[in-house]
Amino acid sequence: MLHYSFCKPGHLIEALQVLSEYGGRARIAAGCSNLLPDLKARHLQDCLLVDISELEGLRGIQAEGDWATVGSLTTIAELAVSPLLREGAPLLWQACQSFGDPLVRNRATLGGNLGHASPAADTAPPLLAMEASVATESLSGGRREFPIAELFAGPGRTNLRPGELILSLRFPLFQGKHEAFVKFGLRDAMAISLASAALSLRLHDGLMQDVRLAYGSLAATPFRATRTEECLTGMPFNEETLSLASAQAQGEVRPITDVRASSSYRRQLAGALLRQAARAALS
Amino acid sequence: MEIQSDVKVKIRVNGTAVSATVQAGDSLLDFLRNQARATDVKCGCNQGDCGTCTVIYDGKAVKSCLVLAAQADGKEVRSLRGLMEDPLMQSLQNAFVECGAVQCGFCTPGMLVASWSLLQENSNPTRGEMRQGISGNLCRCTGYKKIIDAISLAAAQHVVTDGTANLADLADRLDGQAQAKANYLLLGGG
Ligand SMILES: Cc1cc2nc3c(=O)[nH]c(=O)nc-3n(C[C@H](O)[C@H](O)[C@H](O)COP(=O)(O)OP(=O)(O)OC[C@H]3O[C@@H](n4cnc5c(N)ncnc54)[C@H](O)[C@@H]3O)c2cc1C
Ligand code: FES
Ligand code: FES
Repeated sequence: MLHYSFCKPGHLIEALQVLSEYGGRARIAAGCSNLLPDLKARHLQDCLLVDISELEGLRGIQAEGDWATVGSLTTIAELAVSPLLREGAPLLWQACQSFGDPLVRNRATLGGNLGHASPAADTAPPLLAMEASVATESLSGGRREFPIAELFAGPGRTNLRPGELILSLRFPLFQGKHEAFVKFGLRDAMAISLASAALSLRLHDGLMQDVRLAYGSLAATPFRATRTEECLTGMPFNEETLSLASAQAQGEVRPITDVRASSSYRRQLAGALLRQAARAALS
Repeated sequence: MEIQSDVKVKIRVNGTAVSATVQAGDSLLDFLRNQARATDVKCGCNQGDCGTCTVIYDGKAVKSCLVLAAQADGKEVRSLRGLMEDPLMQSLQNAFVECGAVQCGFCTPGMLVASWSLLQENSNPTRGEMRQGISGNLCRCTGYKKIIDAISLAAAQHVVTDGTANLADLADRLDGQAQAKANYLLLGGG
C-alpha cells in the first residue's frame, strides 16, 4: 500500500523524537532531489516524511582555525560558491562545480548526498580523501562523530543507526597539497558519474607522500583505494609509476555492470582517472 | 507537531496566495499544475531530469518536481507567467522569438525561467557560462545553439539599456545569426 504522511518538526529534538518513534518508517526529507523521484517511482512505500529543510543550525560553512564544519543542510550551490572551500578544500569545491546542474544544486544538500549513499555520490570521494568526519545525533544514542569511511554500508545503505540524523561534516582546510577531483560521465552536465576519483598528495624531493585516493562508482560504496595509495607513496611522478599504480587500481576496484557501463569498462576507467587526476593535481 | 496525510498549505504563486490541501507525497509541480492551475509550468519527466518544470522558488531557480508541496507551505513561487512584466524576461522572450529558439515550445517556459535566473545572477555571461546555466534544461528540438544565441542577444540588449554597453565587446560575444539580429536591433533597425 502506498501511504505517505508528512510532518515538519520545529526543532532538532522534535525531529529526533519523531525519527526515533517511527524508526524505519520515517524518512528524512531535506532537498528531496533523491526522495521525490523515489516516491514517484514508488520505490518508497508507506512512510512518514520528516521535513528537516528548515531546522535551525544545520546550514552553513564555519571555519575554526584550519578546520571547516559544514552543516548537513548546506546546499551544493552554497558550497560551489564558497571562496573558503575554493581555497581551502579544493577537492570538495571541484566536485560541487560539476555536480548535477544549477537547478539541482540549489536543492541538493550535502547531508542528502551522503544519506542517500549512492556509490556515485560526488561529494564522497573528496570527503574520503580529506578524511572528513561525520557528526550525527539520535535520541537514544546522543551525539557521536566518526570517520566518513564508516558511513557507507552498501549501495543506498548507510551504517547510521535507526533514527540517526547527520548534523555536519568536519574536515581540515588549507592542507597545501596537490589535489584534483575528476569525474567521468556520459554527458557533461546532469549525469550520474560512471566513475570519479579524488586524489591528493605532497611532493617531497620529487617523491609522492601523504597520498590519498578515493573512488566513486567503482565499488558498492565510495571508498579509499589504500593499496594504490601505498603503490604511489615514495615514488617519483613519472610514466612508470603511473602505469604500476593504474594496474594496481584496476585490481583494487570492484565495479558492477549496470545500464551505464560494464564492469570491465569501469575497471579501465579506474586507471585512466588516476592518470588524469595525477596530471591535473601536479600541473 | 501534526502528522498528516493531507496537508493544508498556503503558497504564494505569482503574487497570489493559493490555499489548498495537498497529499504528503505530492510535488510542488503537482500542486502548481493541478491546484494553482499554473499550467505554464510543464511536466516533462517528473524525476528531475528535464527542467520543463523550472520555477523560482524562495528566490532560487529549481525544478518544481524536486520540491515537496507540503515543504513549500508559506513560500513564494514565481513561474514564467509571474515574470512576464519583468523587462529582462521580456527581452528574453523577444530574443527567443528573434533567434528561432522556440520550436515545439515544450521546453520554453522552463528554459526562459532558467535563463532569466542566470542573467539575474550574471548579467554578462560567456557562452560557456550560458551553456552551464541551462544545463539542467533539455531541449529535444533546437540543438541549444539558437537558445544560447537568444540568451546572448537578451543579455546584450539588457547591457545596452543599462547604459554600460560596449558594442564591440558585445558583438564579439554573439555568434552567427544572433550577431546579425543584434546589429539590426541595436543599431536602430528594431
Ligand atoms: C537531475 C539530477 C542530477 C543529479 N546529479 C548528481 C550529481 O552530479 N552528483 C551526485 O552526487 N548526485 C546527483 N544527484 C542526486 C541528488 O541530487 C544528490 O544526492 C543530493 O545531494 C541529495 O540531497 P537532497 O537534500 O536532495 O536529499 P533528499 O532527497 O532529501 O534525501 C536523500 C536521502 O538522504 C537522507 N537524508 C537527507 N538528509 C539527511 C540527514 N541530514 N541525515 C541523514 N539522512 C539524510 C534521506 O532520508 C534520503 O534517504 C542528482 C539528482 C538529479 C535529480
Ligand atoms: S518535470 Fe521536473 S525536471 Fe522534468
Ligand atoms: S523547442 Fe521543443 S523541446 Fe525545446
